[in-house]
Amino acid sequence: MKILVTAKRVEDPESKIKVKPDGSGIVQEGLKYKINPFDEIGVEEGLRLVAKHGGEVVVVSIGGKEVQEQLRHALAMGATRAVWVNHTGPLDQMGVAGLLQKVAEKEKPDLVILGKQAIDDDQNQVGQYLAEFLGWGQATFASKVESLESEQEKNKVPALQMGADNKSVRVVREVDNGLATLECALPAVVTTDLRLNLPRYASLPGIMKAKSKPIEELTPAKLSVDVTPKVQVLKMASPPPRKAGIKVPDVATLVDKLRNEAKVV
Amino acid sequence: MSAGINTYKTDLREIFFTLFEQFGFGQVAGQAPFDAWGPDEARAVLQETYRFAREVLGPLNSSGDREGCRLENGAVITPKGFKDAWKKLYEQGFKTVAVSPDHGGQGGPIMLQVLIEEILSGANSAFNMYPGLAFGAAELIAECGTPEQKKLYVERMLNGTWGGTMCLTEPHAGSDVGAAKSTARKNADGTYSIRGTKIFISGGDHDLAENVVHLVLARIEGAAPGTKGLSLFIVPKIRVNADGSLAGGNDVSVGSIEHKMGIRASATCVLNFGENDGCVGELVGGVENVGMSQMFKMMNGARIAVGIQGVSLASAAYFNALEYAKDRKQGAHLSKWKDPSAPRVAIIEHPDVRRMLLEMKAHVEGIRALIVKLAMHTDKAQMMAGKDDDQAAYHRGQVELLTPLVKSYASDQAFRLCAQGIQVYGGAGYCQDYPVEQYTRDSKIFSIYEGTNHIQAMDLVGRKMGQAGGANFQQFMADVGGFIEANREHKVYGEAVKQLAAAQEGVMASAMAVLGWSQDPSKMTLIPLSANRFLNMMSELAVGWLLLDAAIIAERVGEKATGDEKAFYEGKKFSALWYARNVLPNVEQAARMMALEDTSSVEISNTAFGSI
Repeated sequence: MKILVTAKRVEDPESKIKVKPDGSGIVQEGLKYKINPFDEIGVEEGLRLVAKHGGEVVVVSIGGKEVQEQLRHALAMGATRAVWVNHTGPLDQMGVAGLLQKVAEKEKPDLVILGKQAIDDDQNQVGQYLAEFLGWGQATFASKVESLESEQEKNKVPALQMGADNKSVRVVREVDNGLATLECALPAVVTTDLRLNLPRYASLPGIMKAKSKPIEELTPAKLSVDVTPKVQVLKMASPPPRKAGIKVPDVATLVDKLRNEAKVV
Repeated sequence: MSAGINTYKTDLREIFFTLFEQFGFGQVAGQAPFDAWGPDEARAVLQETYRFAREVLGPLNSSGDREGCRLENGAVITPKGFKDAWKKLYEQGFKTVAVSPDHGGQGGPIMLQVLIEEILSGANSAFNMYPGLAFGAAELIAECGTPEQKKLYVERMLNGTWGGTMCLTEPHAGSDVGAAKSTARKNADGTYSIRGTKIFISGGDHDLAENVVHLVLARIEGAAPGTKGLSLFIVPKIRVNADGSLAGGNDVSVGSIEHKMGIRASATCVLNFGENDGCVGELVGGVENVGMSQMFKMMNGARIAVGIQGVSLASAAYFNALEYAKDRKQGAHLSKWKDPSAPRVAIIEHPDVRRMLLEMKAHVEGIRALIVKLAMHTDKAQMMAGKDDDQAAYHRGQVELLTPLVKSYASDQAFRLCAQGIQVYGGAGYCQDYPVEQYTRDSKIFSIYEGTNHIQAMDLVGRKMGQAGGANFQQFMADVGGFIEANREHKVYGEAVKQLAAAQEGVMASAMAVLGWSQDPSKMTLIPLSANRFLNMMSELAVGWLLLDAAIIAERVGEKATGDEKAFYEGKKFSALWYARNVLPNVEQAARMMALEDTSSVEISNTAFGSI
């Protein structure tokens, strides 16, 4: 089977993120970047599926030359080849989903796996848009019943279960009141939640092999996608700093303040 | 006992600087025999190693220390989680960066390997002993073994199937290894029956791999006394068939394990070989009486590895102390010390805490640079072999000369700097809630094992200084001299470079003094009395040089930098200036002490030491 997985380049959560004084964006200087952790979980799931069922994992990223770093990381983990959509400048969720739609139509995968959201803007929209654009079924927030300490996880067993003849996929989804299981006809779009798996480390031979794996370059123009954003970011601002707390003398005062000042009880 | 929280942290920016900017990884990688390597691969490998170290090894550091190893039914049980970490380490494969592709490695530069080892050891130095010893033993067999031995052992010991050890020390043969009493008797089939007891064997037994392959120094019956009569044997814990399958016990038993101050998760074993006359060994390379020179191949690597252990924990202690100092509030700023209502400041605002931190930073960076420099010479010696004999000899010579410096200076400073890390924390650092007390305990052994630091000092003054007719030492001094000449008038570092020049003169004068003593039997005792001091002087000269070299590189590229990058390069400047002003003057002072030719400690009678 063929699995297409996204690898978005995001700010490393360990970097200190600062908003520019004019609110036009974040200060990028000195930032470290990595593959979106939810996408990394997607790459891992894809690799487990092809280890079990055969096939290949194709990894895709959108951005300037620098996103090749994230593609190489996915290739070092074991993906077979990569697609790089060369584009700099603003993109909204529909632009991203539009580009991925064309890549998916070109690649014809059985499954597209994306992170449920990217940890930069936390929008959680692209997977859903993409399924809609493609007219495919979708299963978001893929998770599993078994714990991350289980034998199943240690043995790198895929959590997504393929149906007979690889025509469908069974997905355990993380929902507000627990887990829900969905069966979805292929091809389909799956987005990953945090507890789906623990991604592997890129191995040393994997890193050495990654260098010679192919990265195909595409552009929005080649894919005939108009990526003019319909959603525009007007301004960014840091949340107001938290104010210092106060000590109250007794419970009565606390209840009074909760009732009359905070108005929460 | 469950796995704890990772406390290991380092600054990859600093590691990248040392590898790429200071020691020109790019000039080594990409050329034969390192063609497959480039900076991108090196960066990716280091990043992934760091992630692995923090996520897998780091959480087992304090839990392993508290749980320790157990001896049950004659077998060592390692702390919880170690077996899983061992498996993951070998899946990832980063131990074999610099191993030849013939043995399943990636044929990469040692420069990169030493930094990978620093990260692995910094996260969990006790754990890293096990794969480290397996690696060293495998390398020895790869270099000295017969083709059959290479085929049978090397790859299995490099991929985690089997562990490995080096067995030198015996109850009465430690530093005096030539006194070893273990014996070997040749059997009709060409194997040898081994008998004897070895002590202090790191990783002497464990449950991480299916077998442990011991390299044992023993004397073949009738061989000469002393080190000349020692031979080296491959003695697996479980006998192995030619196809690598296990064939049953080999009469190797664990007598006991030591209860130690540090590296408590590393099993230190007493091993009994052939108590029931059933221990069979094969001679490494099939050659008798060359065991000591074969073992030195492993020991040289192991000595460098100990230097790496030193910098790894000193660095971990530094970054933990730094983080704590930025967070912990205590006392008012010096400028407001009389005002009891002044706001409390983070302790990093106090001058003496800053002094301690900068001292740690400068030493860590300088020692790391010394280790990477040594590794660079190893790589270049390999590149030049067969192409340019003079260059190859130069690089090999520098490796020989710098090895005792790396082992001793890194290990001495590690213990001192880790203890200084505790001092930064104050009482909190003395408690198990913070990692610096464990780092301090773990680091003490570094100055003792793999040849005590006095053995290293004697190796330097007795062997390495005079090696190649003194050419290696002279070449080192010429390299320092070249740097001094080129930078004496430097607008920022001119004064510091002059301090370096004074230190170099001190080392030169002391080297001449040592040479004089070695030719005068009445002054012979001055050599062991002064050897450690001399090694320290030369190490400080080397580290001061490399810190200034780094600072001048940083100044060149840092001019255009902004933000965090600018701060990083500025950090290199202050590391160098601090060391030049606070350590290099010690070298001049030490040279004056050398010239006093003090022999008080040998003149004083044993009774005068005290009547105990």
